[in-house]
Amino acid sequence: MSLILLIIILAILGYGILIYNKLIAQIETIRNNQKQIDIQLDRRFKVFESLINVVKKYMDYEQTTLKDVVALRNQAQQAKASGDEKTRIDAENKISSIASNLNVVFERYPELKANQNCMQLQEEIVSTENKLAYSKQAFNDSIELYNANKQSFPANVIVSMFKAKLDQLFVYWQLSAEKVTEQEAYTVKL
Amino acid sequence: MNSPLNEYTQGTANWREVIKQNSRRTYLVIGLFFAIYIAIGLLVDVFLYSQSYPTVSPITILDAILHGELIPKATIIMFIIASISLLISYWFHDRLMLLGTEYHEITPETARNVQETQLYNVIEEMKISAGLRYMPRVYLIEADYMNAFASGYSEKSALVAITRGLMQKLNRDELQAVMAHELSHINHLDIKVTLTATLLANLTIIVIDILFRAAIFAPRRSDKKGGGLIVIIMLLRFLLPIISVILLLYLSRTRELMADSGAVQLTRSNEGLANALLKIQNDHAQNADEYRNQYNNTPNEQIRREAYIFDPMQAGFLSVRSVNDLFSTHPSIEKRLEAIGFKKKTTE
Repeated sequence: MSLILLIIILAILGYGILIYNKLIAQIETIRNNQKQIDIQLDRRFKVFESLINVVKKYMDYEQTTLKDVVALRNQAQQAKASGDEKTRIDAENKISSIASNLNVVFERYPELKANQNCMQLQEEIVSTENKLAYSKQAFNDSIELYNANKQSFPANVIVSMFKAKLDQLFVYWQLSAEKVTEQEAYTVKL
Repeated sequence: MNSPLNEYTQGTANWREVIKQNSRRTYLVIGLFFAIYIAIGLLVDVFLYSQSYPTVSPITILDAILHGELIPKATIIMFIIASISLLISYWFHDRLMLLGTEYHEITPETARNVQETQLYNVIEEMKISAGLRYMPRVYLIEADYMNAFASGYSEKSALVAITRGLMQKLNRDELQAVMAHELSHINHLDIKVTLTATLLANLTIIVIDILFRAAIFAPRRSDKKGGGLIVIIMLLRFLLPIISVILLLYLSRTRELMADSGAVQLTRSNEGLANALLKIQNDHAQNADEYRNQYNNTPNEQIRREAYIFDPMQAGFLSVRSVNDLFSTHPSIEKRLEAIGFKKKTTE
């Protein structure tokens, strides 16, 4: 009888340890995914910088664009350092709009468009923006997984026992309310 | 717009539900394979012990084994054999999969044109979306037909291979969806799952075959107590191969639906995959004769048919060589589209 009781207790303990480890792994995944967004932002900056350098040969328009990108990047980094997420996201979004302008420029110059290098670069722009978007998606997905897991039974019992370690609050990546209305109203003017 | 998707009404894909449902099915099938394997092991043990203790009934022997009074030697040996062969097949599997094709690896440095760069980029984007820790190796197969597969027993050793035809005929969104399907196979550890199941099934069949021969040629027992045992062995000898094939194909179809839903999860769109699947099917129908030649002239396509996103044998592009070839490894395109939210319009 006592043997069966011992086995049950050991099983419950083992299950608890499994849940604990799973939650810890999920928290670290979220943190890593959050940093992945930064990595992609950093990558985008570098890619666009070299991109503009190449296109510069064709047009003098880019000289100012490059300065804009650098200025916006500095703005974003300062905002990040001071924890001002809103300014940071604004600056990052402006870099995005410069990227789409570059694509329009490509369309206007057929000989530039036909150039193999430029096709590579155009592909690079699309891919860079996609990677950034997918890293945000992965970040949000990992939060979803963790939030659902920690609130479900019996994981929530374990969470309440180790609140400091297991009960973390993560905010989904999202646009601010005014930004959403602004983006919703946006249409392409041709 | 005259796209083949016009024949379908577009809905939303409930990928969370599809993945959950199919992963339950997988646990069931894999559990069943393990149970069968252990049961066969015990059967061998009972048979062996009944040879050395001819006066005891098989049920008493089984009882003794389950209570730890007799050591189930055969079960233990079979367990060891299974573990070793699993390790070996994990080791060689990825190299086996490309056998017979003409292929080369694509890296950002060796990409020869925009298309190859785009292919690599698309896979890298899906890797980020799936949260994989390692970038799978990318291989391009020199073939005109449109197909792709993923291989490798873990994230680290994973590879994706796609044919030149697929790369050239799909647009970026469709290519992305197909790659998302393949990376979902990697993410869901499908290669490991199917390999394990296939290996266990094959081992079970080998063991029951040996047991069957041993039982036939074994000296007859005088008291006829072991008669029931021989009947069971004979029945299993004919039933098990059929049961395993059915289970394996059920597993394969389940994993395909899961990967399709995984593709929707990674790209958050069901249109790309639907378009790609229809394009692949139509392209195969249009170039049927040419592709039939190519498939049949490429060695070892049988190994890949299950891994391919589009099973060439099921569509009649590979000549049938054994009874197993008649069963479908993939759900029909209609079923796959329905699972990701596209219902075929009924024509009146």
